[in-house]
Amino acid sequence: MTEQVLSVDDLTVSFGTRLGRARVVNGFSYDVAEGETVAIVGESGSGKSVSSLALLQLLPVPPARVEGKALFRGDDLLTMSDAEIRRIRGNRIAMIFQDPMTSLNPVRTIGYQLIEPLAMHMGLDDRAARARAAELLEIVGIPSPGDRLDDYPHQFSGGMRQRVMIAMGIACNPDLLIADEATTALDVTTQAQILEEISRLQEYMGLAVIWITHDLGVVAGIADRVVVLYGGSIMEEAPIDDLFAQRLHPYTRALLASLPKPGLDRPRRLEAIPGLPPNPVRLPPGCPFAPRCTHAVERCFSEKPELRNPESSHRVACHFDAGELYG
Amino acid sequence: MTPGIDQGVGDAGEPIAEHRSRARATVDTVLRNRLAVAGLIVLALLVLAAILGPTIAPYDINDINVADRLTGPSTAHWFGTDELGRDVFSRVLIGARVSLLVGFIAVGIALIVGVPIGLVSGFYGGAADSWLMRMMDILFALPAILLAIAILAVLGPGIVNAMIAIGIVYTPIFARITRGSVLTIKESVFVRAARSLGATDGRILRTHILPNVTAPITVQASLSLAFAILAEAALSFLGLGVQPPAPAWGRMLSEGRGFFEQAPWMAIFPGVAIVITVMAFNFVGDGLRDALDPQQRSVIESRGAE
Amino acid sequence: MTGYVVRRLFQMALALLGVSVIVFALIHLVPGDPVRIALGTRFDPDIYEALRARAGLDRPIVVQYFAWLGSAVTGDLGVSFRSGQPVAGLLLERLPATVTLAFSALFVALAVSIPLGIVSAVRSGSKLDYLSTATSQIAVSVPDFWAGIMYILLFSLVLSWLPPSGYVSFLESPVEWLRHLALPALTIGLISGSIIFRFVRSAVLEALNQDYTRTARAKGLSERQVIWRHVMPNAWIPIVTVVGLQLGFLLSGVIIVEVIFAWPGIGRLALLAVQDRDFTVLQGAVLLIAFMFLVINLLVDLLYGYLDPRVRYD
Repeated sequence: MTEQVLSVDDLTVSFGTRLGRARVVNGFSYDVAEGETVAIVGESGSGKSVSSLALLQLLPVPPARVEGKALFRGDDLLTMSDAEIRRIRGNRIAMIFQDPMTSLNPVRTIGYQLIEPLAMHMGLDDRAARARAAELLEIVGIPSPGDRLDDYPHQFSGGMRQRVMIAMGIACNPDLLIADEATTALDVTTQAQILEEISRLQEYMGLAVIWITHDLGVVAGIADRVVVLYGGSIMEEAPIDDLFAQRLHPYTRALLASLPKPGLDRPRRLEAIPGLPPNPVRLPPGCPFAPRCTHAVERCFSEKPELRNPESSHRVACHFDAGELYG
Repeated sequence: MTPGIDQGVGDAGEPIAEHRSRARATVDTVLRNRLAVAGLIVLALLVLAAILGPTIAPYDINDINVADRLTGPSTAHWFGTDELGRDVFSRVLIGARVSLLVGFIAVGIALIVGVPIGLVSGFYGGAADSWLMRMMDILFALPAILLAIAILAVLGPGIVNAMIAIGIVYTPIFARITRGSVLTIKESVFVRAARSLGATDGRILRTHILPNVTAPITVQASLSLAFAILAEAALSFLGLGVQPPAPAWGRMLSEGRGFFEQAPWMAIFPGVAIVITVMAFNFVGDGLRDALDPQQRSVIESRGAE
Repeated sequence: MTGYVVRRLFQMALALLGVSVIVFALIHLVPGDPVRIALGTRFDPDIYEALRARAGLDRPIVVQYFAWLGSAVTGDLGVSFRSGQPVAGLLLERLPATVTLAFSALFVALAVSIPLGIVSAVRSGSKLDYLSTATSQIAVSVPDFWAGIMYILLFSLVLSWLPPSGYVSFLESPVEWLRHLALPALTIGLISGSIIFRFVRSAVLEALNQDYTRTARAKGLSERQVIWRHVMPNAWIPIVTVVGLQLGFLLSGVIIVEVIFAWPGIGRLALLAVQDRDFTVLQGAVLLIAFMFLVINLLVDLLYGYLDPRVRYD
């Protein structure tokens, strides 16, 4: 049985706002095994990014309130002291973000930004750090790495900048990489390249990856397991093939149905999911997807469904099973 | 994060009908800002004082009463008397007229001269733009008060000349802001659409550009008013503005200096009046800016902060 | 970087040329005969003729301009209509006082605004933040001359801690130099500092909210490291820009404050020249102040180029 790198248990994140307490993540539990790629899929506002930021204590603590447990190799990330969590960030768990243009400091050379974690976490001196930084750039596929260390972010293209971010992420050989919408801001070709890059690195380094995205297409090629998030709660969780094949939860089904399908003979209307995501300040007591679910009955609005089949690898949060829903 | 120059009113793609209801929305936002409201109230009182001045002033400003000279604040003389026995309160009250008058007219001059320059410069570009902006830059190259002093040295002191001097000093700012807005809007889709439909330059200027340019100009105008009043006070303090016997806050301060030890109230009250007036304009200006376009700050404040 | 520097130098030269035209025009825009007006009641035909000749007012305007410009570049700015003394000499005498005051005021302004601005931004919403912001709102509306007068009232007349006016050279007595410098520098510096404070605060706040700050934290940097290594290098850019634009205010303030505190500087000279209608002196003073202003602006621009690599590789 492979070791669990990360074990998140009942994570709840809420924010105090002028309009009330916004519950953005509600009892989110999942595990990530060594070397595994887990995709967290959801629309904007589903709580996917917030849940990951919470893991590294990157949310400003008032107004945010984080509850639950997040065990990283046995230690709870959420209760770590400032010094302890800083030793984890960028070192054992790295995070890369969506927009490489704004996520890199424009007035520092990328060499400086790469060397920072190397010097801090691995204690490398200047020369060693520089050498390692050049190595990293080479690993992520940036040509003439040695020369480019003294360049500034604005001198790189978007795809290259994201590669630099990846280099920064893997610099200290982390156990886990969290990629928060890391390809969303890139064009399709570059997206594919980055996805491939990270897969390659994964194999090479035995890295576990959490891919946060709203794009199921991205997920299809690279994930081992998928967690579908809606309104801060898990709707469905399964190994990727099972998810695409069975798509037990109505939300998953609707998501997959709404994907444009290229190569059809007749042009078809895109199927959108009618309705809007739930208001985190006024979360309904029942299933968060009920207002938009075509199969919803009264019970769905008042009683929140538990995740069924908690032991098997495929879990669904719905009162009904596939047979009852889809006949 | 900040999408380049954002000097228009939000997205530069709105037809005029919407603009009118935006005016209403702006007023609403401003009114919700308590400081701005306080500022507006103070300003209203000031304008009232300016208009009604002579009628409500307890004493005539030239009421020389040597027997009562240099007396401190009392029930008879709220702000005390000056070296000639004149009532300081009345003089401060009438001084409001001068300050507001000079302020408004100076900014008015700056608007009337600066905005067309900015429009022409931004709209037609080319050589005209180059030359005009170069001239504006030269005016910018001199610190404000220095330029005003230099102009007054040529024209001679006096209230009208002071208005002209301050107006000239603030013209470049309005020209720049207008030009910036015009440049942004000129390239927007709906202007190009209008052009392709055969609209004349005049029509485009009137119906599309002017309405969208009014927002940054309005904000700048209110902020400039604050500084114009400070400038007028400075000039009259230096003896270059309003001439005696008309009271001006700045000059009252200057006169008060001579009697500091015996009658500090001569200098204190006019100063407080200036501070309150300028603060009021600043609050209103800030409120307008926050309502109209918070991102404008970087261009306006940096230019207008003299 | 050299390209940037060269371009800025060129722009400054152009601006200076433009200013010289305006300054030159001053004497010619005066309605009436400037020399006659300057002499006023002390009119004497011989002196009048001499001054006119010296100022070259009989030649065609364009020729005059270039002659004037030529002499100005070599240091000859004409003679005072009032006293007959060379203008350049008068200016040079007073330069140290003005420069001292300007720099001290700048120092005060930065010493107040930058630390307060950074702390206010980092601890946004705290009592300190509210207090500083509120105080700056008021301070910004205070006219510098009134502030100066009030300080004199408080510190000189009431408390008798500091002298109300005058200038003592550093070489004569450092202590007295400081005592006499204190009020004038504070007068301008505090107000300028308040204006700059608001910008420092917003610049730091904006940088704090950027994505790269989040990245820095995610790399494991302490909050302090994040602020000094990533936030501030970015925040300095708009701050420097503002300081540069504030210089106009600073110099304007210097002129007024020199009057209030009887500070023997160029500003005071310029004002006396206005009152005396001594146009040559006024021309020289305006030119010199404008020149100082442009030079400092150039330095600020160069600093800006150093701080922001995006501008350098333009």
